[in-house]
Amino acid sequence: MSAFIRRCVGVLLVLLGVMLLIFIVLRIIPGNPAAVLLSEHANKETIERLTASMNLDKALPEQFLLYLSGALRGDLGQSYYLKRPVLDLVLEAFPFTVKLTIFSAAFAWIFGIAVGVISAVYQNRLPDYLFRGISLLGVSVPVFMVALFLQYLFYFKFSLLPLLYDGSAVSMILPAIALGWNSAGSVARLTRSSLIEQNNELYLDTAKAKGLTAKAALLKHGLKNAMLPVITMLALQLSSMLSGAVITESVFGIAGIGKLALSAVETRDMPLLQGTVLFSAFIISLGNIISDLINTCIDPRLRV
Amino acid sequence: MKAFKKVFISIMLVSALLSSAACGGAKDSGQKDAPSADTKSESTEAAAPESSESSAEGSADGKNESSAGDGAINIAVSSDIVTMDVHKTSNDYIVPMNVFDTLFEVVLNSDGSTSIEKSLVEDYSVSDDGLVYSITLKDGIVFSDGTPLSSEDVKFTFERMLTLPDSEQTDYGASIQGAKELMDGSAKELSGIKVEDDTHLTITLSEPFSGFLAQLATPSTIILSKSLVTEAGDDFGILPEKTIGSGPYIVSSWERGSGLTLEYNPLYWGPEPSVKKVNIKVMDASSMDMAFQKGDLDILDCQRIDSALVESTYKTKYADSIVSVNRLGINYLILNEKVEPFSDPKVRKAVQMAIDRQAILDSIYNGDGKLEDGIYPSGCLYYSDANQGWLKYDPEASKALLSEAGYADGFDFEISLDSGSDDSVKNVIQIIAQNLKDVGINAEIKSYDHASWLEARNSGDMPSFMAAWTLDYNDPDNVIYTFFGSKDNTVIRSNNYSDEATIKRVAAARGIVDPKEREAEYAALEKKLVQEDAVWVPMFSLKHLYVKGDRVESFVPHWAGWSDIYFKGVTLK
Repeated sequence: MSAFIRRCVGVLLVLLGVMLLIFIVLRIIPGNPAAVLLSEHANKETIERLTASMNLDKALPEQFLLYLSGALRGDLGQSYYLKRPVLDLVLEAFPFTVKLTIFSAAFAWIFGIAVGVISAVYQNRLPDYLFRGISLLGVSVPVFMVALFLQYLFYFKFSLLPLLYDGSAVSMILPAIALGWNSAGSVARLTRSSLIEQNNELYLDTAKAKGLTAKAALLKHGLKNAMLPVITMLALQLSSMLSGAVITESVFGIAGIGKLALSAVETRDMPLLQGTVLFSAFIISLGNIISDLINTCIDPRLRV
Repeated sequence: MKAFKKVFISIMLVSALLSSAACGGAKDSGQKDAPSADTKSESTEAAAPESSESSAEGSADGKNESSAGDGAINIAVSSDIVTMDVHKTSNDYIVPMNVFDTLFEVVLNSDGSTSIEKSLVEDYSVSDDGLVYSITLKDGIVFSDGTPLSSEDVKFTFERMLTLPDSEQTDYGASIQGAKELMDGSAKELSGIKVEDDTHLTITLSEPFSGFLAQLATPSTIILSKSLVTEAGDDFGILPEKTIGSGPYIVSSWERGSGLTLEYNPLYWGPEPSVKKVNIKVMDASSMDMAFQKGDLDILDCQRIDSALVESTYKTKYADSIVSVNRLGINYLILNEKVEPFSDPKVRKAVQMAIDRQAILDSIYNGDGKLEDGIYPSGCLYYSDANQGWLKYDPEASKALLSEAGYADGFDFEISLDSGSDDSVKNVIQIIAQNLKDVGINAEIKSYDHASWLEARNSGDMPSFMAAWTLDYNDPDNVIYTFFGSKDNTVIRSNNYSDEATIKRVAAARGIVDPKEREAEYAALEKKLVQEDAVWVPMFSLKHLYVKGDRVESFVPHWAGWSDIYFKGVTLK
């Protein structure tokens, strides 16, 4: 239990560090958010008036303390650009990102593991070469390329799926594949190599000696053991998907955290960017704690 | 040690997230501000998050709606609006333009000229001193929920514009008497607007300003309902059902981040538009291209997609469907007088003569535009082609001027580039640099991100830059005052023009009441600034191209070439 409390304190420190880091980084970048907000058609007085209304004319430490004290009360400030509370915006956007992440993770795992297993079973035969090629494509083609290609193929050429996300489950298929594609590739490669490694294990010989065919032995006994490193990897991939979502969400018009962060960067919307980063840091830390807890449950050795 | 590792990994993950956001940002903004780097109408920014995912209405796959005959059209924009409240934005005009009305409106005539016509106004007169505007509103105009529109609403609109703490539109009420007192809090009311009865009012200006009528015809001065806006509070401009106007359309839904739907307002006082429903969808450039070619979009804004694609596909395959409008905007090059050797008019003149603008227009913009030799773009009020020929491409004469000024061996300077601008702007600057090299001037192109670029320009220290100015309202004052109307304005535009007498004249020209006299003064000022002082290097004005889909019979683009369209001007087959 004390370990758990230590972890929670650690998370708080991480969040504080993230806050300070992002606060400083955002202030080092030149550019006045008020001027960006007003864009081209503004005069000096309007810029000055808006700068003051955003508290940007105050000293930096004062700005940080204002921000910190707000954050402790659950108030992440008001978005400069969208003019709404940051927390509301983040909480509204989060379900979309979660949905996208879950769909892509599901695709990556199912597709990746299936391909990996087939590759391993038909090691160095035609299906293996074919699928190894596919998974190599998976890890090497960037997300936006995959997205464009999918849109071209499924929307433009064959009119099978909608171009953009529109709230329906069907329209989530393309974004999920686009975002899950890279992960699927690495999952497939790891599954394959991990499964092939099991081939040399003695317990498989035992299974074969008991009368199982090589294929059945591998799938029945080998797969379970081979999955351990894969599961670890899946957990890690969830957070990388969170960042890949920035591109996918933009291409498919999904109003998630990534798109929110992107718009915040473009418009120098500091409170919103701080909010999205802080929130992501919080989610990732939380994910780490949970995965640690799960690991401890599964593997008693870790409790020592 | 383990805890440290976790902390480290978490920070790395966060920074990875952040950096991918930053990279994506640069890429995205590169696509959207086309082709003029920084005009108002194009730079709609950023998407708001979706508040609900309800209905799948207006989906871009086009399978579920807008089959011919239902009067619905599909339009794509590159980013979602932020607010529907015009006082809180200087970018998002699509809702103000279509859901609300202005007192006057600008009409684009078939010869490309524009005129100011009455809209909500039935009749009006201006006093001889140009100070008092007596206005009679049309009778029986109501907002889309049935609330009548009255003179009180006009007064309320301007008071709100001036007093809202985060108002971005104060310029549009600043010329009215008592505006200053209202803004600094010493007055509770705007003394310059007197309501006589429901349909009669007078607006008194603090000093004569001939561009005022044109200001009353821009979406910045749409008339809001006092009772409805007060009742809606912070929800005005945010919730569709609380954002009620008197215009031809009502906002039926707004899904943050993905777009909005407008529907015909049956209580609209004007003629019924042909388009009954507009689905506005947020898409990136490649999606727009695919959706249009597939017939899922009815109007395509060529400025939003790759210009090479426009040239290769749309100008050939869709040649008969292209609609073009002259942009009332001018691309210009600024040379900062504060930065040596630009304090010498001869050097500035030499730069004017060294740039081959026709070659740039032809090679970068496929000739879709017109060379401009003055300050006011073609189509602007008082525009005269008398200035044609002021600038001539003549590298030899340019060299001669340079050696006269003591720079026979040339000099070095920096052209600052906003990295968020469209590729075409970057290419133009490359050619300018090459042209200048030919006369011995070494121009170094330095790239800044948008915010840094703005910061440097606003501080008055930017040595040189190229950008475009699109008119907000059709009056020469809108461009000349912005750049040369006050000391502050010359700093914020980084030209640091030093002739105070001329600056005073530019400011005074706003108040000239007699149109003939005013026209002559603007012509004289243009000549002084461009030909004599050479503080401004005019480049060209561009056309704005659209492609209309099969179902669209015709449409009239915005008179100044903004990307936002008045949908009442679209007719369907």
